Amino acid sequence: MTSLGSSSSSATEYTVRVPKNTSKKYNIMAFNAGDRVSCSTWTQARMERDMSARRIYGEEETTEGAAGSEFGKKQREEARRKKFGIVTREFKVEDQPWILKVNGKAGKRFKGIKKGGVTENASYYIFTQCPDGAFEAFPVHGWYNFTPLAKHRTLTAEEAEEEWGRRNKVVNHFSIMLQRRLREQERGEDEEDEADKSGKKKKKGGSGRGGDLRIHDLDDDLEMSSDDSDSSAGEDGDSKSKVKKDTGKGKAKKKKKKSNESEALEDSDDGDYEGLEVDYMSDESSSDEEPEKGKPTKGEDLPKGIDEASESEEESEEEKQNDEEAKEEEEEEEGKKTPVQMEKKKKKDSSGESDSSDDSDIEGETASALFMVKKRTPPKRGGGRGSAGSSRTGSRPGTPSIDSASTSNTLRAAASKLEQGKRQTQGPGTDSPAAKRLKMEPSSQSPVPSGKSTPQPPSGKSTPSSSDVQLTEEAVRRYLIRKPMTTKDLLKKFQTKRTGLSSEQTVNVLAQILKRLNPERKNVNDKMHFYLTE
Amino acid sequence: MSDKTEVNLTGVKQSKGVWLVKVPKYLSQQWDKATDKGEVGKITIGKKKDKTEVCFSLNAELSALGTVGEKDGTPQVPRDHPFTMHSVGGRTMAVFSQSDTDEISLEGMVVHRAECRPVVNDNYMKLKKLQIEESTKPQRLSQQLERAVTTVFKPVANHDFNVEYEKKKRSEGKMVRAERQVVLDMLFSAFEKHQYYNIKDLVDITRQPVTYLKEIMREIGTYNSKGAHKSTWELRPEYRHYQSAEEEEEMQTT
Repeated sequence: MTSLGSSSSSATEYTVRVPKNTSKKYNIMAFNAGDRVSCSTWTQARMERDMSARRIYGEEETTEGAAGSEFGKKQREEARRKKFGIVTREFKVEDQPWILKVNGKAGKRFKGIKKGGVTENASYYIFTQCPDGAFEAFPVHGWYNFTPLAKHRTLTAEEAEEEWGRRNKVVNHFSIMLQRRLREQERGEDEEDEADKSGKKKKKGGSGRGGDLRIHDLDDDLEMSSDDSDSSAGEDGDSKSKVKKDTGKGKAKKKKKKSNESEALEDSDDGDYEGLEVDYMSDESSSDEEPEKGKPTKGEDLPKGIDEASESEEESEEEKQNDEEAKEEEEEEEGKKTPVQMEKKKKKDSSGESDSSDDSDIEGETASALFMVKKRTPPKRGGGRGSAGSSRTGSRPGTPSIDSASTSNTLRAAASKLEQGKRQTQGPGTDSPAAKRLKMEPSSQSPVPSGKSTPQPPSGKSTPSSSDVQLTEEAVRRYLIRKPMTTKDLLKKFQTKRTGLSSEQTVNVLAQILKRLNPERKNVNDKMHFYLTE
Repeated sequence: MSDKTEVNLTGVKQSKGVWLVKVPKYLSQQWDKATDKGEVGKITIGKKKDKTEVCFSLNAELSALGTVGEKDGTPQVPRDHPFTMHSVGGRTMAVFSQSDTDEISLEGMVVHRAECRPVVNDNYMKLKKLQIEESTKPQRLSQQLERAVTTVFKPVANHDFNVEYEKKKRSEGKMVRAERQVVLDMLFSAFEKHQYYNIKDLVDITRQPVTYLKEIMREIGTYNSKGAHKSTWELRPEYRHYQSAEEEEEMQTT
C-alpha cells in the first residue's frame, strides 16, 4: 500500500496479496505464436466443454428395471471387471477439452486441450495490479493449449490413405475434394438421381472413386487421364489425353494394376514392384482381355495358348471377312502345330528376347490369326494400324482392300500383344484394352517407317526407309529359286528388325510379291512350299 | 442445461495486462498459510541501470516452515526472491476464469512471464536438503517381524466359513414348499422388477427348494441358454407385458 521511494534507485514497493476467498478458478489460455491470435479483435466468444469423450467412457445403462434387465447385472459386471483387472478411467469433466468459438458462426474455432503436469512441481500465479497499486496473486488452476480448428473439409483416414497411394498419378489435386463433395451429394439424393450423378462424376473425371470398387483398369485409366487434363469433360478428351499420357503411364498402370490385385492383401508401396521381372507381358494382357471378350472360341481344338492369342487379335482386328485367302489359310493350317509350340515358347520367352519372339509371334499369330479369321466375322472396322488401305487382293478377286487389311490386322494383332503399349492415332478403342495391360515394349512398328523402294500401292503405309535387307521381289525370287520355302521361312528371312518394316507391312509386301511372282507350290512334309524355277 | 457459456470479454477489452509468475512450491505453501487479508509480502520494482528489477520479499511471519509462530529449529524459508522476467515471446496467452456458477470470463492478457527464484544461501540449502530427504523416502516400508506368521494352516475347509455356514443352515432350516399360488405371486412380482433371473437368485428371493421352483418356472417361463442373457429364466410372452418406462409413467399419471 505504501510506496516508499528509496533513495538508491527508483524503486517502488507494492504489497502482494493472495486473496483467500476466490470463488473463481483461474486458468491459462495459451495460443501458438504462429496462429497470431489477437484477443482484442474478438467481439463475441463462446466456450464450452467438449463432451464427445463421454460416450466412450460412460457406458450408459440400457434399461434399469423391467424389460431387458437382469437381476444383479451391475454387481456381476463389477465383479467381472475386478476379476480381470479392468480399470476404467473415470470421465472427469474437469479434464475435458474446451471448445472456443469466436465471433459467432463465421468466426474461428479453437480447441483447448488441458496440459498436464502444470501444478505438480511449481505453482503458477497470476499477478494483477489493483487500482490501489497492490498486486493480487491468483493461483493458476489449469493450463489449456488452444489450437485453431480447420473449417475446411478434410479427408478421413481411409480416404487419405487411398489418395496417398495415388499421389504419383494424380496431378489435379483440387479434384480430390470436389469428388468427395460430389460423392456426398450423391449419397444424399434419391436413387434415381444417383445414376445421373455418377455419370456426371465420371465425366468430370478424376480419381475420386474413393471407396468404390475397382472393377476395371479401363475405368481407372479413363479417369486418370481426365485427371491430368484439368478441364476434360468428355470421353474424347479422355482418349486423347490417354494417347499422350500413355507412354508415361504404361509402367504406372502396370504397377497400379498389380497393386489392385494385391489390395486385398496388403498395402502396396510404390517401390515394391520396380525390380520385379515379368515373364511375359502378354500373359497378363490375355488374361485381362478374356473377360472383355464375349465371344466364345469357335469350336476349334486349338490349345489354350492360341485361343488367347487369337482372342486378343480378334479384339484389335478391325475387319475380318470370312472370305480370307484360302491359300494362305491352307498353308497355315498345316503349320498349325508349330504355331502351337511357338505360342508356348513365346509365352515362356522373356520380354528381352524381342527379336525371336517377335518373329515367332508373328508367324504363330499369323497362322492362328488366319485360321481364326476364317470363322469369324469382322466386328470392328477402322483404326487399323498404319495399313488401313493396303490392297493385297491378289488371289481373292473381288474382295476389296478389306482382305489385306484384315490379314495385316491379324498379323498386327498377333504381334500386338508383344508390341503394344504405344497409343496409335488410329483406333484407340480397339487397341486400348490390350495396350494398357502391356508394358511398353520397344516396337518397331509404325513409328519406325520401313524403308522400301518397291512400288506399293499408296495405302497409308508409312514411307519405307532403307536398311540392310530389303524385302524386294528380287530377294524373294532369289530365295524361292534356290530352294522351296514356306511363307514362314520367307518371313524369317525378312526380319522386321532388319528390313525396318513392321510385321504387318512385311506380310503385306510379301503377299503382294508372292502374288506377282506366282510361284509354284508343292507339299513337302505336309507343308506348303513355294518355289520358282528359272 | 446449456453448457455453452458466453465469455465475458471485459478483461480483454480493457487490455488488462497480467503477469504470469512461476512460484516454487514451498513458497506457495507458505502463502497458503497467510491470514485472511491475504498479505504475503512486498514487491519492489526498481530500475537499476536501465534494467527493471523486481524483487519479492516475503513477510516475516510467513517465513517459518512449521506452523506460524514457531521459529526455532526449523529452517527458514528464504525471504528475498528476485523475479526473473521474460517476455511472452510471441505466444499469446490469455487468462480466463471460471466461476462456481460456470461463468467464464476473460481476465486479461499475459504481458510478462516471471520466475520467482530464491536467493541461494545456506538457509536455502538446508531447506532443500530437507525436501530431498522427504522425497527420497520410499512409500512402502519393509518391516522385520519378530515372530513368524503362524496363522496359515492347511485347512480342510475354511474353518470360519464352515462354522458360519453351518450356523446359517441350522437357523434357516430346509426350505419349505409354500403354496403354489403364493410362489407364483412372488415370482410375478419379482419379474416385474427385472426380466431375466438366474435360478439361484430366484431361489434366494422365494426361499423355495430348487426342484419345486424349477417346476413352477417351467410352467410359466422359459430358459435362455444362449444369447445375451446367458442362463437365465424369463417369463413366457403371454405372461409378461413389459412397457417402457415412459409408458409406465404415463399410466401412473392418468
